[in-house]
Amino acid sequence: MKLTFATILTTTALSAGAALAHYGMIIPSDPMISQQDGRSVSLEVSFSHPFELDGMELVAPVSFSVTHDGETTDLLDQLQPATLMENAGYTLDYDLERPGTYIFAMEPEPYWEPAEDSYIVHYTKTYVSAYDDDEGWDALLGLRTEIEPLTRPFGIWEGNVFQGRVLLEGEPVPFAEVEVEYYNEDQSATSPSDLMITQTIVADADGVFSYATPSAGWWGFAALNTAPETLEFEGEDKAVELGAVIWVHFEGWTGQ
Amino acid sequence: MKWLVAMLTAVVVMSTAALAHQLNVFAYVEEGVVIVESRFSNGNLPQLGEVSVLDAEGEALMLLPVGEDGVTRFPLDPAHADTGLLIEVRTGEGHDNYWILTPEDIARGSGS
Repeated sequence: MKLTFATILTTTALSAGAALAHYGMIIPSDPMISQQDGRSVSLEVSFSHPFELDGMELVAPVSFSVTHDGETTDLLDQLQPATLMENAGYTLDYDLERPGTYIFAMEPEPYWEPAEDSYIVHYTKTYVSAYDDDEGWDALLGLRTEIEPLTRPFGIWEGNVFQGRVLLEGEPVPFAEVEVEYYNEDQSATSPSDLMITQTIVADADGVFSYATPSAGWWGFAALNTAPETLEFEGEDKAVELGAVIWVHFEGWTGQ
Repeated sequence: MKWLVAMLTAVVVMSTAALAHQLNVFAYVEEGVVIVESRFSNGNLPQLGEVSVLDAEGEALMLLPVGEDGVTRFPLDPAHADTGLLIEVRTGEGHDNYWILTPEDIARGSGS
């Protein structure tokens, strides 16, 4: 086989792309809905490499719900198929009937990732505050794995530190690996190195991690662990990556 | 949206005051009754306070006390269903906020 420079570049580009971090995404039209904004929020639900805006197919999730004031409501049948980042995803318009924090959460079907020779299941959640009331922002959903926010996950300034605790089966995960990635929605961010597309940090012995963002916008935090069970692919047992994903919006600082 | 502009003009001063110390106000309609809920952002209920109800032109309609449970109720006058109401709650110096009960809010409550 004759290797040309173009062939090598193409091969390199493909492998580099495959190395990007995967993120389940639930992105609301606004993380803080005031009474002047209306009485509902619109959600975009997808699966992607968010910095590169590289979408992947999101098949119908196992579950999609909202939790408010201690009550969880199944919204699975309200998801509307949509094309997001050139791939299958979903949208949802949801009425915010009362003040407080609404936590939207998704458990997707296991996603087979041949590049990693494993399945990926990212439990994803996002917070929306209604009518200037943040009650309930620290509620846990009891997901198989989730990031417990120790910083209120909305209404925070760019540059603020976001702190969370990684939980798996309800227990903190010492020294959990957490990946951080920016949703490069307007493609304004560029990265001088592939290493900087996904930031990687390690939690402390109590599963607590901290990260300060350099800019406003949506930032995804994904805590990754390997499930004790395997799933079969073409007759072989494969590992299952369990991701706890939380999306946090940082607001632009308004001072000089 | 004329009614909304009038209401927003009327509450500019109040909204500024609300930033200093947050009182959350929420109002809705249920079976012909307007229900006003007032609560501080830390979850505490106001012990004292008054609720002013204004029409879309900013004219005061009634003044009511905040209930012990932070809730105030009054019957909805159907004449305001198409224009909405401005509901202001004052609990002390700087502890003020408001809710604009829109015609859509009223229609939603009327249908429940």
